[in-house]
Amino acid sequence: TVEPLEYYRRFLKENCRPDGRELGEFRTTTINIGSISTADGSALVKLGNTTVICGIKAEFATPPTDTPDKGYVVPNVDLPPLCSSRFRSGPPGEEAQVASQFIADVIENSQMIQKEDLCISPGKLAWVLYCDLICLDYDGNILDACTFALLAALKNVQLPEVSINEETALAEVNLKKKSYLNIRTHPVATSFAVFD
Amino acid sequence: TGRPPARAGRPGGSPGAGGASGRKSRRGRGAAGMAGLELLSDQGYRVDGRRAGELRKIQARMGVFAQADGSAYIEQGNTKALAVVYGPHEAIGLRAAPPQIRGSRARALPDRALVNCQYSSATFSTGERKRRPHGDRKSCEMGLQLRQTFEAAVLTQLHPRSQIDIYVQVLQADGGTYAACVNAATLAVLDAGIPMRDFVCACSAGFVDGTALADLSHVEEAAGGPQLALALLPASGQIALLEMDARLHEDHLEQVLEAAARAARDVHTVLDRVVRQHVREASVLLGD
Repeated sequence: TVEPLEYYRRFLKENCRPDGRELGEFRTTTINIGSISTADGSALVKLGNTTVICGIKAEFATPPTDTPDKGYVVPNVDLPPLCSSRFRSGPPGEEAQVASQFIADVIENSQMIQKEDLCISPGKLAWVLYCDLICLDYDGNILDACTFALLAALKNVQLPEVSINEETALAEVNLKKKSYLNIRTHPVATSFAVFD
Repeated sequence: TGRPPARAGRPGGSPGAGGASGRKSRRGRGAAGMAGLELLSDQGYRVDGRRAGELRKIQARMGVFAQADGSAYIEQGNTKALAVVYGPHEAIGLRAAPPQIRGSRARALPDRALVNCQYSSATFSTGERKRRPHGDRKSCEMGLQLRQTFEAAVLTQLHPRSQIDIYVQVLQADGGTYAACVNAATLAVLDAGIPMRDFVCACSAGFVDGTALADLSHVEEAAGGPQLALALLPASGQIALLEMDARLHEDHLEQVLEAAARAARDVHTVLDRVVRQHVREASVLLGD
């Protein structure tokens, strides 16, 4: 458009937006859960055209020495060049780093998952959940889409039962017995902007 | 709305958690050494119930993303790949170059288009978590192979001084990732409307117990036998890319190559149907 502000103002006068939505309305949201079988938990979220896929893989790690009864949750948001022509290949740009930090803050502040639940044996073994969010189509409102995808994928994660063998001090994983994570809170992200 | 990636119905196709992967047999015959896992049974059935020359189920969709000029998503068995094409557009730097470096300005070619391919596989795509999704040796090599394949097929003389970007993302890897990437990229390039000589159809092939197998799954690849990847232009039978790095007796090469070529032609049949279906749907929406 030649005059983008004027174009928008004309719609706002009628209290709607160029794609026909109300001012407070979300785009059509679809969620597809558990489609990636190699990941321990996965979810694909479409917010209008914005598409984000989240894959979670769980691995073993030793808990940090200052908090031996906690596991780790490591989120990472990737905005690859395939999602939009504004991104180039190379190290993560500013927007991707900001989004990763945002997701890390959301997990920490909302207490969505208690890190104590991820501990198997205090001081020796704990789960680390690597949450990788990849944006496949960038059409705005990436933070909301990432939060939805993360929450949906976490609810889909199934961790096998692990016991520590006393004699050998090795972990024994029972793949036949899997249980879901205990998600305590369900944060919902809503982004808004003030125009004019 | 939304794109539901339907799970293919083949049993035993996905890589087991640490079970089948990493089992490499150094014997020339390529059969897995462990008891109980025969890559090819006496009746001629493979691990997932297919015959020697049979492909996995292929499902593909074109035009899945709004931002890109062309996009496609393909599922070959449990291998899920998507390809996105931007272009042809002005030739800009391939990497995010910092503003100080002026010398790395675009190497725009004066007589043809520059084809830039990038391969990335998600960290959650394999049984073991991948540490580096892009920039590692294998991704760079795959990107280079894809570029060679598409430079041969795309009519680059029609777009001088411009650049065509092809980005491929593997969401789940269950063997045959190169083939799935090439097939997805072909559909994406077609969706973008960039002229090509012909479809580029790819398939992998292996050799077990004197029989050539087509379209290897992860279990069959991990068994350690020879694997060949072939990208073919079906109408003329010309080979865009042929890659193998394993030991195979030259007497068997003909047989394996023939199996791969036949499988690639079968892939072409499927992709052709997908393209026609997509065009039919698009013309219905346009009201023709």
